[in-house]
Amino acid sequence: MIAPYVLVFLVFVVYPVTYGLWLARHPQSYVTLFDDPVFFRTVVNTIVFLMVAVNVKFALALFLSGFFVHDRAWIRWLSVIFIIPWAVPAIPTIFSIRFMLNPEWGIINSVWFRLTALDGPNWLNDPTLGLTMAMVVHIWKALPFWTLILIAGRLAIPRELYEASSVDGATSWQKFKYVTWPSIRTLYLSSTILSMIWTLGDFNSVYLLTGGGPADLTHVLATLGIRYIRLDQVDQAMATIVVALPFVLPLVYFMMKRLSANE
Amino acid sequence: MAGVSFREVVKTFGKTRVLHGISLDITDGEFVVLVGPSGCGKSTLLRMLAGLEDITGGTIAIDGRVVNDVDSKDRDIAMVFQSYALYPHMTVRDNMGFSLKLRNEKQALIDQRVATAAKILNLEPYLGRYPRELSGGQRQRVAMGRAIVRDPKVFLFDEPLSNLDAKLRVAMRTEIKALHQRLKTTTVYVTHDQIEAMTMADRIAVMNEGRIEQLGRPLELYDRPANLFVAQFIGSPAMNIFDGVVQSGAVEALGVRWPANGGASDGQRVRYGIRPEHLEPASAGIPAEVVVVEPMGAETEIVAKVGDAPITVMMRGRSNAGPGERIHLAPQAAHAHLFDAASGIRI
Repeated sequence: MIAPYVLVFLVFVVYPVTYGLWLARHPQSYVTLFDDPVFFRTVVNTIVFLMVAVNVKFALALFLSGFFVHDRAWIRWLSVIFIIPWAVPAIPTIFSIRFMLNPEWGIINSVWFRLTALDGPNWLNDPTLGLTMAMVVHIWKALPFWTLILIAGRLAIPRELYEASSVDGATSWQKFKYVTWPSIRTLYLSSTILSMIWTLGDFNSVYLLTGGGPADLTHVLATLGIRYIRLDQVDQAMATIVVALPFVLPLVYFMMKRLSANE
Repeated sequence: MAGVSFREVVKTFGKTRVLHGISLDITDGEFVVLVGPSGCGKSTLLRMLAGLEDITGGTIAIDGRVVNDVDSKDRDIAMVFQSYALYPHMTVRDNMGFSLKLRNEKQALIDQRVATAAKILNLEPYLGRYPRELSGGQRQRVAMGRAIVRDPKVFLFDEPLSNLDAKLRVAMRTEIKALHQRLKTTTVYVTHDQIEAMTMADRIAVMNEGRIEQLGRPLELYDRPANLFVAQFIGSPAMNIFDGVVQSGAVEALGVRWPANGGASDGQRVRYGIRPEHLEPASAGIPAEVVVVEPMGAETEIVAKVGDAPITVMMRGRSNAGPGERIHLAPQAAHAHLFDAASGIRI
């Protein structure tokens, strides 16, 4: 009996995708999109966001996973606290960060002013700083999850390999290079690809923090669609999503290939 | 090559003391086996020698140098693990040459050492393979190869044959012993298998509950076990042991008189021990009832009841006896062992 699966597939995958493509069918939508100066800026922002946020996040996750694998009671407690950003709901937390970063009455600039008697940076009204803060929020929110994944990868490495390498004369760095990294490399790369796919779809970090502003200069592809929907241009919004496909599909392809190769 | 010396070595894990002051001297080139039941502390002692566990108290010295605070990598030892611990992402060649590579040895020297070791261990056809492409026995040999390319001061083996099937275990036992005779490197070998200990060791340290019960040559332990624990642990099938009382040079036990030699005084309560091969079915002697007969070809193992106690008899050749049959057993007095009933110490 595969009928229920086919039905689910039709209702939840085939219909919405086809409808989206149908809405995005007009060539004029793409002409308008490419003529929109915000679009080019958004593509650049998206590439920067993917390259910087994902790699910084994974470098940190790799480093932190090496710390959290140590079997000490206080480290276990610390890891519970560390998980919190990932576990809490996105909307209230990102809004509260937005309030904290308010240049006039946010807590960060208040403290800044008290300590230095100078005005703090214009966190969210400067496009570069705004996008940077959106990346910081994204990393802060997603880091615990990827750290957990890499901790699991590290814990799967037999302890004897480290002991054998100790006896063989390896330093800590050489143990990482010859034992840890070869063992978790596949996991690290697969996770990076998956995270890129998810990051492409990360709407919250940018939209809740900067709303795409100032002057639509911090949009990424995930938030640009909403801008058009608010302008009542649904076709335009769908075209934006179709434009993101050349980013997403190769990643999905690589991901599926890796997953099937690991079987 | 070098000697190893343990001086009053103590180990505690939290509040639990697992080693209670171990002292042991291993001479240059000697093959010493640490044997004992699981949890006796033998692996912990080996891992302390390897630098994989801290030393709580006492000192460990290799080649006269105290190594308590010396890193594993600077102790000049090589270790073979029960799980082999081969690096899964390296070929056999790279696994074997890894320690030399870490020491920045020249590639030509590494190649030559690996080639020599591969030849000794019959690993030449497998040098380009990965560990996952090898059988258990081949992995075991790679682990040994990794140890011998180092030419270390001491070889450490931690239950290296436990993951092999019975037949391969016997073959590898012979290989390890032959390797030791060829290289003459000081070796400390941990096992729970007393047959491995008996067949391979120059000297055996029998351990129990964090102490060395007896240290000696294999046949010394077999012929003159210092206490009940060693008597029961060494030898297969195990020694027959039962309670008795000394009476005019013999021991009254299980309702009969067992011949004994040795200096126990009359009326002393003892544990009487006799190995299965030192009891022979005879026309006269201790009456027994056959329970099970296990023919093994060259020898026959008979389990018989004396009183209510099961007694194991190992006789050369074959037996016509069947279950339920009454036989007589003749113990060889010269091979009887007496232990103090209270302390378990040999009398």
